[in-house]
Amino acid sequence: MANNPATNPVAAASDHIALPPKHLRARPVERSALARIGSGVLLALAALLCFWLFVLPVIVVALSSVASHWSGTILPDGYSTRWFERLDSSDFDALVTSLEVGFGVAALGTALGLWLALALEGRDRRGLGAIADALAMVPNGVPSVVLGLAVLIAYHKAPVDLSSSAAIVVFVQLALVLPFCYRCAAAGLRPELTVLREAAASLGAPPAMVLRRVVLPQLVPAIRASLALGFAISLGELGATLTVYPPGFATVPIVVVGAVERGYYLPASALSLILLIVSLAALSLIAARAPRRRAG
Amino acid sequence: MSSLSTPDSAFPAAPLPGAEAHAAAVRRRERRAQWHIAFLLVFVLGPLVVYPLARLVLLSLSGTHGLSLQAYATFFGNPDSRGVIGTTLWILCLSAGLASVLGVAIAAILFFKPFPGARLVTRFLELFVAFPSFLVAFTLIFLYGSQGSVSIGLQRLFHLQAPPLDFLFGIGGVVLAEVVFYAPFVVRPTLAAFSLLDMRLIEAARSLGANNRMVAARVILPLAWPGIAAGTILCFLLTFNEFGILLVLGSAHLVTLPVAIYSSATVDLDLPTAAAGAVVMLAMSLSLYALYRRVNRRSHGGARNGK
Repeated sequence: MANNPATNPVAAASDHIALPPKHLRARPVERSALARIGSGVLLALAALLCFWLFVLPVIVVALSSVASHWSGTILPDGYSTRWFERLDSSDFDALVTSLEVGFGVAALGTALGLWLALALEGRDRRGLGAIADALAMVPNGVPSVVLGLAVLIAYHKAPVDLSSSAAIVVFVQLALVLPFCYRCAAAGLRPELTVLREAAASLGAPPAMVLRRVVLPQLVPAIRASLALGFAISLGELGATLTVYPPGFATVPIVVVGAVERGYYLPASALSLILLIVSLAALSLIAARAPRRRAG
Repeated sequence: MSSLSTPDSAFPAAPLPGAEAHAAAVRRRERRAQWHIAFLLVFVLGPLVVYPLARLVLLSLSGTHGLSLQAYATFFGNPDSRGVIGTTLWILCLSAGLASVLGVAIAAILFFKPFPGARLVTRFLELFVAFPSFLVAFTLIFLYGSQGSVSIGLQRLFHLQAPPLDFLFGIGGVVLAEVVFYAPFVVRPTLAAFSLLDMRLIEAARSLGANNRMVAARVILPLAWPGIAAGTILCFLLTFNEFGILLVLGSAHLVTLPVAIYSSATVDLDLPTAAAGAVVMLAMSLSLYALYRRVNRRSHGGARNGK
């Protein structure tokens, strides 16, 4: 791609002295046939490695959930949907719990993230704002088990006792997704859109109206991304949830890990395939709407 | 800031009433914003983040009467968890190091020598965020477990008596699963760092006769270094905080810090001891995180427009 430098003069920044060009080392790039075959093989190996490491696991989950038996063979013996039919009420309870907690966490996390981002806009570099910004991002750096244990210790007995309801699960996951939602909302508040807000305010719109008619419409992509991300993270969260969950409020990951530890691999696959499809559906919301400027 | 200097009267008698009023309005708005942030700190971040962590630290330090380090002694004196920090750090360095090298290599290939299907792989890497880590560990059982596909395939290929692979439930399996799961987390920031490169510099280097290795070492790496460093540190942080893989593949033979904390909290029901381990882990991961924030801020060059 870079073999034709003559047509593309380089605008070097430091051309303070215009030296006469001396092409001492410039020569056409020559590559032997061996080198070309070698690089081709290397590329093929890299492609295979990528497929093997990253695509294969997804295929394996899908394949194993429809396998009638898979142990001691390369491919499953036969295919059936019996693992899906055999999912019992406790599995469906876990699925319902996961979905409810996921929706709750996504909605609350997005609202809190939006609130924080709006309050801290332009003030997150010094003073109180910097403290709040750092604290909102702290759960990113806290291991999930540690956060779960901390929430359990703080809220498992009076004065605030959440330990016998799903609220503690929502609470701990909310702390975990807060940094992601806050980041999403803060990334959506771009400076060029601030002008619109200030214009609306200067034209006499009350703050509530500015929020409803200007800010929220601007932030729709960020809100969608934040909802989807919060939902996906909540569905797959294991460490913190496992530490705090009260009996009867097991989520899908807890049930799956329990089944795996007892050796029931294929039912666990069926359940995790459902989990994966739900969270991929949520994430495809991001992909459909992702502002294509991730590179900066 | 200082509330005394702010005029409370609406119409100050000044030569430029408009400017005065405007300055007062700005100051009032700023003060209200500070109160808003303080409110958020006390009523949102306080209960969600600060209070639980403070209670955790307090509990780990509280003995039967007053301050004591009893819980720490119990946690690290337990014969089951002897050397637990060493094990955890060894697994961390091995798997995060391998994942970083692999991730940077994959990103370089995807960016500089895209093969057919590279876009598909990039998409899959983005979807890996939605893939819970314990599921990766779980799929590896089907692939590399002693009765898994690869194992049986090797057995058939070489006509062995028994399946050759039996490493999964131990340090080997944990490292493999963490490398597979966390390499994509290095690939994405590295790709972002590469895409910020000025391709003209690479062309210039080539036109001046640099070969591939020289371009990589003298042009690409120095320029993309901050992004790669941020991705690598993030990978170390996430790997350190990993729990699902350790629980599924390592809980039987391998005592690591998160699993030890989890089991002393939920199996032994000994919250102070668990809290002691958790505080140690918290200190380690928060210092890693502080490093990440520092490097990441520098790699964005102070101007945070690229987030």
